[in-house]
Amino acid sequence: MPELAERLGRAPVAASVQMTIKARELRAAGKNVIALTIGEPNFSTPVHAIEAAHQAALKGDTKYPPQDGTLALKQAIQRKFKRDSGLDYALDEICASNGGKQCIFNALMATVNPGDEAVIPVPAWSAYWLMNDLIGGKSVLVTCPQNNGFKPRAEDIEAAITPRTKWLILNNPNNPTGAACSAEELAKIAEVVRKHPNIWIMSDDMYEHLVFDDFKHATLAQVAPDLKDRTLTISGVSKTYAMTGWRIGFAGGPKQLIRAMVNMQGQVAAGISTVGQAAAAAALDGPQEGVEEMRAAYKRRRDFVVESLNACPGIACHKPEGAFYVYPNVAGCLGKTTAGGKKLENDFDFCMALLEENLVATVHGAAYGMSPYLRVSTATDDESLHEACRRIMAFCKGLH
Amino acid sequence: MPFIADRLNRISASQTMVITGKARALKAAGKNVISLSVGEPDFDTPRNVKDAAIRAMEAGDTRYTDVSGTPALRKAVAERFHLDSGLDYKPEEIIVSSGGKQVIFNAMLCTMNPGDEAIIPSPCWVSYPDIVSLAEGVPVIVPCSENNGFKLRPEDLEAAITPKTKWFMLNNPCNPTGAAYSAAELKALTDVLMKHPHVWVFTDDIYGKLTYGGFKAATILEVEPRLKDRTLTLNGVSKAYAMTGWRIGFAGAPVELIKAMDKLQGQSTSNATSIAQAAAVEALTGQQDTVAEMAKAFEARRDMVVDMLNAAPGIHCLKPDGAFYVFPSLRGCFGKTSAGGAKIVDDEAFVVALLEETGVAAVHGSAFCFPGYMRISYATDTETLRDACTRIQHFCKGLL
Repeated sequence: MPELAERLGRAPVAASVQMTIKARELRAAGKNVIALTIGEPNFSTPVHAIEAAHQAALKGDTKYPPQDGTLALKQAIQRKFKRDSGLDYALDEICASNGGKQCIFNALMATVNPGDEAVIPVPAWSAYWLMNDLIGGKSVLVTCPQNNGFKPRAEDIEAAITPRTKWLILNNPNNPTGAACSAEELAKIAEVVRKHPNIWIMSDDMYEHLVFDDFKHATLAQVAPDLKDRTLTISGVSKTYAMTGWRIGFAGGPKQLIRAMVNMQGQVAAGISTVGQAAAAAALDGPQEGVEEMRAAYKRRRDFVVESLNACPGIACHKPEGAFYVYPNVAGCLGKTTAGGKKLENDFDFCMALLEENLVATVHGAAYGMSPYLRVSTATDDESLHEACRRIMAFCKGLH
Repeated sequence: MPFIADRLNRISASQTMVITGKARALKAAGKNVISLSVGEPDFDTPRNVKDAAIRAMEAGDTRYTDVSGTPALRKAVAERFHLDSGLDYKPEEIIVSSGGKQVIFNAMLCTMNPGDEAIIPSPCWVSYPDIVSLAEGVPVIVPCSENNGFKLRPEDLEAAITPKTKWFMLNNPCNPTGAAYSAAELKALTDVLMKHPHVWVFTDDIYGKLTYGGFKAATILEVEPRLKDRTLTLNGVSKAYAMTGWRIGFAGAPVELIKAMDKLQGQSTSNATSIAQAAAVEALTGQQDTVAEMAKAFEARRDMVVDMLNAAPGIHCLKPDGAFYVFPSLRGCFGKTSAGGAKIVDDEAFVVALLEETGVAAVHGSAFCFPGYMRISYATDTETLRDACTRIQHFCKGLL
């Protein structure tokens, strides 16, 4: 067989996918596995969104769409940015893609030259640095310690900036920790970035509606309007409206960057599915009560899981502001041996032993750039979460 | 503002923009413009396909799917490859993407190292060379003369192969010429390819179901199964089932290449829309009568358009065997002046004057790496086509 390209070697398969596959194998072997590895809501797409897709298909909305998104969807996105964040984007400052992931991919492809650096606070979704590395960029990871609530500190970001820095990538609320920066915290970061006019800022706000306890979501372009002309604000319908499978993400940003991203999208996949776009527009414009219900459920689950995990010997779990993840520290378990006789050297060992011995699938912190932690997704029904926490407790009690 | 990446400059500026922009302006000014420039069927998606999509959304098929597509769709694709061409692909040798274009993008990014060459017979869809360039490869354009029906001759293929050749890219039937290769013609090409084991073979069969006059389009692996371990067979539902807006393309290829493409797609967009995947399953496995009906309509239009164009002085139009395009030569019109006073120096001047003076929009051959010709899409109803061809005849009669 002829050879593959070298750039592929720079992109390993995501750890969460590996763990999901392992869990699936155990299930296929008849084991009752509870997977807390998934980054997708266990709710259903709102009925009015489905109805809109239904109508779009029936009325023949099945032709090539414009590459930057249909006018109707872009207008709905424009209203959403204004309504949620007070951001004014013109229609040529907005584009829609196959999921938020493609917005990121398009943006990096359109801007990163080989050797350009992206500053990425970690823990973070590994896709950021995997994509950047794939494209030939260099990823500079900045650790966000637990004692700062897993949030990036302005001084650490400042120290990471070099003349080659092309991007600062913020994910707020964050996957995998659930940490969310307040407007004041973002303002401090903006102060640093302001001094470096050659840096693009990406604010991935995919989980913006999933924040709890009166926490107010803020986004960088809103906190620092003077940086709007070099900030890309990304969001989507996947997490807010339980529409992961529809694959609709979107971005607002300066016209030149958006044009370059659309140009890139024209080469990658062209326009995005028309029925998905119709559903997304309806979700953005329609009743928002479903979001409130989801938020209440995620808050209840977060509270329960944090409390249950903190009761487990050796585990310390921070209570985050948002998203549907918690990121417990398992340092207190390392060096011990499981009931099944496995010595735990690191968070990967912990995850594998927990899965094999007590049948709970999680993802190890190393996959997000910070050990020794686990990412636990709460996007699972309450009953399964209760059972999973009981199993984690049993696992930890069995350590010696 | 921070910089845009160099790779964006490697994409050629869209040649068709001149025409589509002008057509839009004329339409806005109230002119009766007929667009023969679209690359999608004018038919609507079949009802059974829409119904399947609606059932899927109501059943809650709204979650992430496997990156490479749902097991149901990959199985349907494998069955369709077998039914149509006798090809045996296992589901793990299939990938589903957001349109055929993404398959091409994935394949090129996964295999091209800087400086690797891709042989592309022209006239060609300009996305081939653009995507090759974007992947840091070098497009090697091999012109295929009208005398040979715009088809590649084996000796020209042989002469173009170098030690740096990574891909040979064939579009069969071809956009923009409609040229389709018989099994015997393909065999002559595969005989050459058999001698060069370092070359990957890409066959884009997206128009494969649209052939006329009893012509049976063959695909590379039907005539030379020994190339299977280095051939990618691209197809999709866009053209055959009038599903361009749904964005579903797919390919069969060796498992190593599929795995690499899955990895890249996992980083750029993840899965294609779940609902559209369900629709595609129905398109591939449900009733196939609409395909034949559509092909029958296209054939009648092709015959009429070719006859009417050949009656226009200065135009010479071959009758191709497939797709929904014809690619007439304009050379007999060059050097003349239109009734409106435009000097027809080349194909671009011809289509611009034709649009301005008669309101018919076609795309000049240069946009397909083949000057001296124009592409006419007959994916438009018969009456409109007749009107357009009458206007072209009138325009040509007015040339002095």
